[in-house]
Amino acid sequence: MRRSGAGYVLVALLCVSLALMIVETNRPWLVGARAIVATVVAPIYIVAEAPYQFGGWAGEELSSRRELMDRNAELERRLLELSHASQQYLALRQENARLRELLGSGARLSADVVVAEIVGVLPGPTRHEVVIDKGKNSGVTVGLAVVDEQGLLGQIIEVGSLTSRVLLLTDSAHAVPVYVARTNLRSVAAGTGLADQLQLEHVADSADVREGDVLISSGLGGRFPSGYPVGVVSAVEREVGASFAAVYVRPSAAIARSRHVLVLFRVEASDGAGAAVTPPTAGRATPGGGR
Amino acid sequence: MNPFQGGWAILLTLLVGMVLAVLHLPEASPPILSWLRPNWVIMMLFFWTLAVPQRMGLVFAWLLGIGLDVLLGEPLGLNGALLAGFTYVVWALHARLRVFPAVQQAVLLFGLVVIVEALRLIVLLTLNDVPPSWRFPFIALASAALWPPLRGILEQVQRACRVV
Repeated sequence: MRRSGAGYVLVALLCVSLALMIVETNRPWLVGARAIVATVVAPIYIVAEAPYQFGGWAGEELSSRRELMDRNAELERRLLELSHASQQYLALRQENARLRELLGSGARLSADVVVAEIVGVLPGPTRHEVVIDKGKNSGVTVGLAVVDEQGLLGQIIEVGSLTSRVLLLTDSAHAVPVYVARTNLRSVAAGTGLADQLQLEHVADSADVREGDVLISSGLGGRFPSGYPVGVVSAVEREVGASFAAVYVRPSAAIARSRHVLVLFRVEASDGAGAAVTPPTAGRATPGGGR
Repeated sequence: MNPFQGGWAILLTLLVGMVLAVLHLPEASPPILSWLRPNWVIMMLFFWTLAVPQRMGLVFAWLLGIGLDVLLGEPLGLNGALLAGFTYVVWALHARLRVFPAVQQAVLLFGLVVIVEALRLIVLLTLNDVPPSWRFPFIALASAALWPPLRGILEQVQRACRVV
């Protein structure tokens, strides 16, 4: 057994580790190094996810003709619905851009997207992070928002060449600025660490929030795009004497069930409204609205 | 007739350990299972450090840990330090530990994993603002419980691949 000098090696390694941890917590210098390691270990995620991928594939291969036809019919129906809605949307968007021009506020940013598949879920009941199969090679960068077909899902926190890590809305370290669609009340929806719950922070006891209110991302803070559904208020608890009400929110996105997600790229000035990019929410301070 | 003396078998089992570490459980599995996830990489490392101590190195364990840091999204260097320290301790206890029956080794493994996981929790609580979790004794419990069968399997692997 070669033990001679092993103690020194251990001390050296511990010192290096400590230095790495301290540097990483305080400075962004190690992002590149992490990305390189992430590229090397990416196949491990893919192997770990393989049983699920195979299960999905086998399920598709083995489904009967009848099921496929049913599904096809269902999808066609949805396509029709959505294309109908998108026709209206086009008209509304033009009208909206015109009105905003009149108001003198820039057009909202519309986003380019890339479709990604979730290839890994970080284990452990307290972690709310997933790994997606798009990375630097697809132009993904740290800070981009991720949505699924029903709403905001989270944001990119780490990028490798082929994969990136997404912090989900429900992680207790995550918060997203929102407003209540019905009243324009601004707030911040923070993760609770539970898979199906967010909580609104610092909502005054007297604030007008009800069960069933829809929350939309406000775009304040500049990290998330505005206008994406975040969740629906599931419960409001007001306690006599407390200064804040406890408002619980059920996320719109299928946090634990999404398979395919969209990464939203930030697009500088779009909709032909010129380069004057104002904060996305600048035009929304309607009278009688938020606090 | 045995290139690398079976070194690829060591690497492969450690990679399997890493896959198991990031494997997520199906939606339908009972939540208790997520509390009883053993620390697979430590168990694999434990076996190979006992079986072929001269083949395992501190730097190797550290690099493995760096990979694990990125996989698990933990501060870079955390798992490196833990795995290198673990390997060193196992080296130090190696002469006695090696002749122990599996159950006795499992008891010691329990103690070591408790220490490793507690240190991990302390570092995470200091550096990141994570909610405290009381999973670490359960991780150690699961690791110790699965040690005897895992040792049996890995001994077969060692024999089949003639790792010396």
